[in-house]
This record gives sequence, structure tokens and C-alpha cells, in this order.
Amino acid sequence: MKLKKYLTLTRAGIIEALQFRLSFVVMVIGNLLYLIVVYFLWKAIYASAGTDIVNGMTFTDTLIYLVLATALFNFMEMYTVWEIGRNIQSGKIVLDLLKPMEYRKYLFWSYSGSFVTQFFLTFLPTFIAVAAVTHGAIPLGINLLYFVISVVFAVSINYSIDFIVGTICLYTESIWGINIMKQVIVLLLSGATIPLAFFPETMKTVLHWLPFQSIYHAPLSILLNANPQPEKMLVTLGTQAMWCIGMMILSKLFWKASLRQITVNGG
Amino acid sequence: MSAIIEIKNVTKEFKVLKRREGLKGSLKDLFSRNYKIVRAVDNISMQIAQGEIVGYLGPNGAGKSTTIKMMTGVLEPTSGEILVGGNVPYKNRTRNAQEIGVVFGQRSQLWWALPLIESFRLLKDIYQIPDADYEEMLKLYQSLVDIEPLLHKPVRQMSLGQRTLSDILAAFLHNPKIVFLDEPTIGLDVSMKAKIRTLIHALNKEKKTTVILTTHDMGDVDALCQRIVIIDKGKMLYDNDIAHLKRFFGSYRTLKIRVDGDLKQEAENIQKELPDNSVSADDEWISVLVDEEKASVMDVLGCLQKKYKIRDMQLEEISSEEVIKKIYEEGVQ
Repeated sequence: MKLKKYLTLTRAGIIEALQFRLSFVVMVIGNLLYLIVVYFLWKAIYASAGTDIVNGMTFTDTLIYLVLATALFNFMEMYTVWEIGRNIQSGKIVLDLLKPMEYRKYLFWSYSGSFVTQFFLTFLPTFIAVAAVTHGAIPLGINLLYFVISVVFAVSINYSIDFIVGTICLYTESIWGINIMKQVIVLLLSGATIPLAFFPETMKTVLHWLPFQSIYHAPLSILLNANPQPEKMLVTLGTQAMWCIGMMILSKLFWKASLRQITVNGG
Repeated sequence: MSAIIEIKNVTKEFKVLKRREGLKGSLKDLFSRNYKIVRAVDNISMQIAQGEIVGYLGPNGAGKSTTIKMMTGVLEPTSGEILVGGNVPYKNRTRNAQEIGVVFGQRSQLWWALPLIESFRLLKDIYQIPDADYEEMLKLYQSLVDIEPLLHKPVRQMSLGQRTLSDILAAFLHNPKIVFLDEPTIGLDVSMKAKIRTLIHALNKEKKTTVILTTHDMGDVDALCQRIVIIDKGKMLYDNDIAHLKRFFGSYRTLKIRVDGDLKQEAENIQKELPDNSVSADDEWISVLVDEEKASVMDVLGCLQKKYKIRDMQLEEISSEEVIKKIYEEGVQ
């Protein structure tokens, strides 16, 4: 049973996450505050625009998009860069490297328990709440299936990017700045903070050719698409799949090349 | 017996940026390419047989951990060859990991928030330990130490001693051929040290596990190792059995006493009475070096007690630092 080796880490992650129940409360409060800010910010933007539809999106569209983006962020953000950086600085990485498992996989599966808890404790409640409040603004059909597949790709791409940035910590031995930079770039260019529809045309073209839009823009646009055409879905998911494989290979190679760099603190 | 670990002329060098001091120096360092090469391990060779317990000694920064990290595959040697159970560790790190167990006294591989038994279950799955072997190992553990109260306690609530004990059990769980113990008794009290030594000894006997032990505590070495290897500044100073070293050092211990009156003055008086022992004094203690092959510490103490009112006393084993100092000064025959 090869899979058991990994699923056992998922299981431990779930138990571990549930030990810290207070952190869920804090997180929910934090998200609420963020969403309140988002609400008033975009209300002001729409008020000053003077029209109901800006860049093809109504106020409700934008708000639904951003609420779901936040929920998706809670679910997908793995804090991999922090984790790798901290492990390098404390030297704990030695113990992880000595598991009979690739470090890349070990770290991913160690975190995977949080996917499960976050999905049920933050994403799903948010999704249901939004669907209930907006009375059918989120289409509930075949798009949900596409959405799930799309999120799987998104998680993988997001992790690969995080892992690449985390690998850079092997060289710099510092985390904070790199992590903040990564977070801002990924969230902005992926459409998590501002819907991609609001970007200027040239920027949109550039972003189209970058992996970031596959992380937030792709799954969210699938989710909010009432009548998905199979060809269009195929293109979106195909692009994601390509980025998923590409980034995976890239992160693997970069890690392998960088491991020689390790000096490992303390000794 | 054939060697399970073979190390041939291994050298490890690190490239370190030469740092300058002060704000100005730090700013200059941003653009500096001024590296210096630090040789952490310098041309070391040794062979270790299956089932041996080897004490690996040396002062802080001697290169002990670096050697261990090379044997486990975390670091790649700059030159030379290492074979661990037939594998080149850094090339087959994951395969090598299946065959070894590691304990770093200062860090824990256990899952912080979970009870110990959950960590064991995780390791069982990660190392793909068959059910029967796992049960057998737990039974063995139960017969050696009282683990029942530990099993259901979250690791973060354990004392340092309990955690170290648990970490050692975790390292042996998949029945590895070799276990590396890096300062396992650091910071522990005497009874916990004794417990851990007994445990390591029993596991080595029972499972024929090769144990490589680094420590600063000569008590660990005395209790466990047949053979010791000493390194300093990356160079190998000594590799032989412990009896040989003992013969060379005799069995010296330092008796420290405190008496009334001027310590310097009293030390001189004591020296006159004990011409065979070297006596010295500092601000707090009078130290008497006792060679136990000639006279036991108790005899010396009894003799002193007749003439002086001893207010306080301490007994010190010779430390690995002193051993190394002595080897430097006098060499080993």
C-alpha cells in the first residue's frame, strides 16, 4: 500500500489541526473584517464609476467573486515558504530529509490534512452562505464538477510555486521578505485580490501566458459560469494541467539542484 | 564481521562568506565575494561493523555532526567515499533513510501536538513497517521501559527526558540497521541518563543495531561504547577500544573539596600530605587529582577528613575535552 504512506500524513494533519480549535475562530473573525473592507472599497469604486456594470461585472458579481476568492485562499494557502524557511533556520529540515520520502511530497502530504479541515470549516460554509444569500447567483450544475478538477490543479500549481520560492530560502537563509513578495505577486497576478477583468488589456494578455491565473482566476471563473461549454472548459483545464506538470517538474529540478547548497544550521 | 559503514578519506569543506564587522562592514559584505574555505572534516577513514556501539567524541565544532550528516546522506562529501549498508548515502538518500534511524538530542522528529502513539503509527506507515514487526517492537519497548503513561501524552507536554526517550524509541521503531544518536543525553538528569543508557544498550543487544553515538559525557561512553573515535578540528585523533584509552589515562578523577581557611594555603598543606596527587586551588575549590589505580577516592577523602573539616565536596570525571587535551599534549602510545 503505497498510498497509505501519504494518507497517514493527511490523517495526522487533520488531528493536529483540530487540536487548535481557537485558531479557526480567530481566522473566521479575520476574514470577516477583510470582507467588510472589501465590501466598502468596491462599493465606493462602483459608486464613483457611475454605472452598474464595470468591466462586465456588476457589484454583486465582483463581491461574490472576491468572497469566494478569500475562501479559496484560506483553503489553498499552505504557508509552505514559512515552513521551509523555518525548518532551514532551525535545522529541523535534517529530520525531514531523513524520512524515506521525497521532501517535496513529505511536506505536501504533511500539510494536506489542513486542506480537508479548511475545506469543511471555511470554504464550504462560505460557499453555502454566499449561495443562500445571493439566491442562485452561483450556478449549481455541471460547473461544480469542473470546478473541483480545476481546484485540484490550482492547489498543485500553487504548491509548486511555493516550493520554488521556499527553495530560494536555501540560498538566502531568510524568509520574511521573500514570502511577502511571493504572496503579493501571486495574489495580485492570479486575480485573488482584484478580478482579472479589471486589469488593462496588455496586462491581461501578459497574465494569460503566466501560471498565476490558473490558481484563482481559472477555478473561480469556472465556478461562476452558468453554462459551461465543454470546449472552453477543456481549454481552461488543459492550460491548468500543463502548468501543473510544468511547475512540478521545474520545482523538482530546482530543489534537486539546490539541495547541494544545504549547509544545515547547527553543526 | 563485515563493515556496515565504510568511510574512506572523507573530507568536507564549506564555503563561508568572510563577514566584516560594524555597519560599514555589513554594507560592504552585501557586495563581497570574499569567501573562505572551512574544512570541517579532514581526511577521515574508518570502518564500523554491524552491531558495534561506537562513541564519536570531540569538542564542539570538531566536525562530529558534519560526519553524521554525511553518513545519513544530508550532506555530500567534498571528496572521499562513504558507503552505508552498501549505499552511497547522498545519492540514495530515501533508500538510505529506510535503513537508518536518527536522534538529534536538541530536536525532535515527533509530531509536536499529537500523543506519542500517533507518532508511532505515522512512522509505521511512513516506513511501511509490517504489523507483526510493529507489534513485536512495541512489546519489546514495553518490556524495557514503562512507556504506557507516555503513549497517550502529547509530545509538547513531555519533559525533556521523556521526549528524548520517546525520540530514541521512534528512531529504533522501523528496526534500522544503524542508529545515529547525536548527544542523546544532553541536558538530562542522572537517573534519566541511566535509563536512556540502559535502553540503548538493550536495543543494541536485542536487535544487533549498530549505534553511532556522539556525546560530551564520558559517562555515556563508559556505559555503552566498546570503541571510541575522537576527532578534533576535523582530524581524526584516535580510533581504538575504550580499554586502551583507559589504560593510557589510568582512571583519573578529580576530587574537589572546600574547607575553612585560606584555600591556597590549605592546598599547599594538602599537597605536602599527598605527594602522589597533584593539588591545586581556585577561589572556591581545592582540586585533588586522584589516580584510582593507586588509591581510591574514598581513601583520599577519608585521609583528608581526619585532618580537615570538609564543608562541601564534588567528584568530577575526566571530560572528553580533557582527554583530547591530554592526547594533544602527550599523544597516544
